[in-house]
Amino acid sequence: MKHLPKHLRPRWRYLAVRLESTPDADFDRGAFQRELWFAAANLLGDPGSADADLRVFSFSFGAPVGEAVVRVRRGEVEAGRAAVACVDGVEGAPVAASVIGVSGTVRACEEKYMRGPPEAYDEKRVAFRDADSRAICRGNLRDVRSDSRWTGATSLDME
Amino acid sequence: MYEAVRADPAGESTAARFAAAASEHGYDGVVVRNSRDDVVPPTFDSRAAYAEAIEAEYGADAVWGVELGGDRGTLTRAVRESREDVTILCVAGGGADRNRFAVETPAVDVLTRPMTERGDFNHVLARAAAENGVRVEFDFGPVLRASGGERVQALRDLRKLREILFYYDAPYVCSVCADSHLHLRAPRDLAALGEQIGFTGEQVREGFREWGRLVERNRERFDDSFIAPGVRKGRGDVR
Repeated sequence: MKHLPKHLRPRWRYLAVRLESTPDADFDRGAFQRELWFAAANLLGDPGSADADLRVFSFSFGAPVGEAVVRVRRGEVEAGRAAVACVDGVEGAPVAASVIGVSGTVRACEEKYMRGPPEAYDEKRVAFRDADSRAICRGNLRDVRSDSRWTGATSLDME
Repeated sequence: MYEAVRADPAGESTAARFAAAASEHGYDGVVVRNSRDDVVPPTFDSRAAYAEAIEAEYGADAVWGVELGGDRGTLTRAVRESREDVTILCVAGGGADRNRFAVETPAVDVLTRPMTERGDFNHVLARAAAENGVRVEFDFGPVLRASGGERVQALRDLRKLREILFYYDAPYVCSVCADSHLHLRAPRDLAALGEQIGFTGEQVREGFREWGRLVERNRERFDDSFIAPGVRKGRGDVR
């Protein structure tokens, strides 16, 4: 189909979204997009969700952290932000999604806010709460596996 | 701006991890609602030492608070015993009796989640809260994490609470009742969420700032330079 004249093309804004989850989370762009649509439909309703027209553009996730660029209609940025905040889990894994910035183009968004691949993490045995547990360490953050659940901790909490 | 959280062992993240995440989201610090439990790791000998290490490491202020439950009798005693021990004293809402006790006791800082457990709120409680300076909490937790009927009920309750509290100009705080650092959201995102559910962004931000004002006020009040209520040690300007 013929391109729309410039003044009739939709205008977009791009949200830089930071994702954090548990170290065993495993989901792809499609799963995150689905959750985002659900969150938007539940919060904004079908009309509001259609207005915001949220779409995940670039997506990279290597548990436990990741980032994504989410496209939203200009003028619906605040609604998009609220919908992103309501994403609380993807495929059973708890997820914290927060908007760290807004740009007018995908490129500006990636250059300004994307940090690239996450810092390397390693697995160690740690002494936490009088028990010897497995922990995923990133910098001084520790995700400790105990009693089949993850506990968020830091190096300050280790014995 | 502060966020009030439940730390390990009751929650799923330690106070330090909450502080790290909160600082990343742009908060000044966190109020730990369950600081009476075993929240301090054994390597630190006091809560103060732990808070100092957190501040040095993550630049976030860890504030020790407590959230009391129980019936009227146990609450009266618990409030008296805990008041000097913690910076922020909350009473967990729920049930007409507990809500009423909380708003009628000036020693209580915050009445949390007044609409849970068949609790309700009305004009009498709102007036009492305004008079006694007891902050009432708006809990955005279910809006973020629940779905379906539960969420609809939470939204309905938030609306009712908002209409009553704002009419009487009663003080309030906001929080998301986080059990895990993954439950935290940035103030700006929560302001946007607030706008979708009938608040203004500024009202929500004000609710998070109110924790900070409470912390500052209580720290000054419980400062060692006070030897009796209203009597401060040192040289005054009055002759």
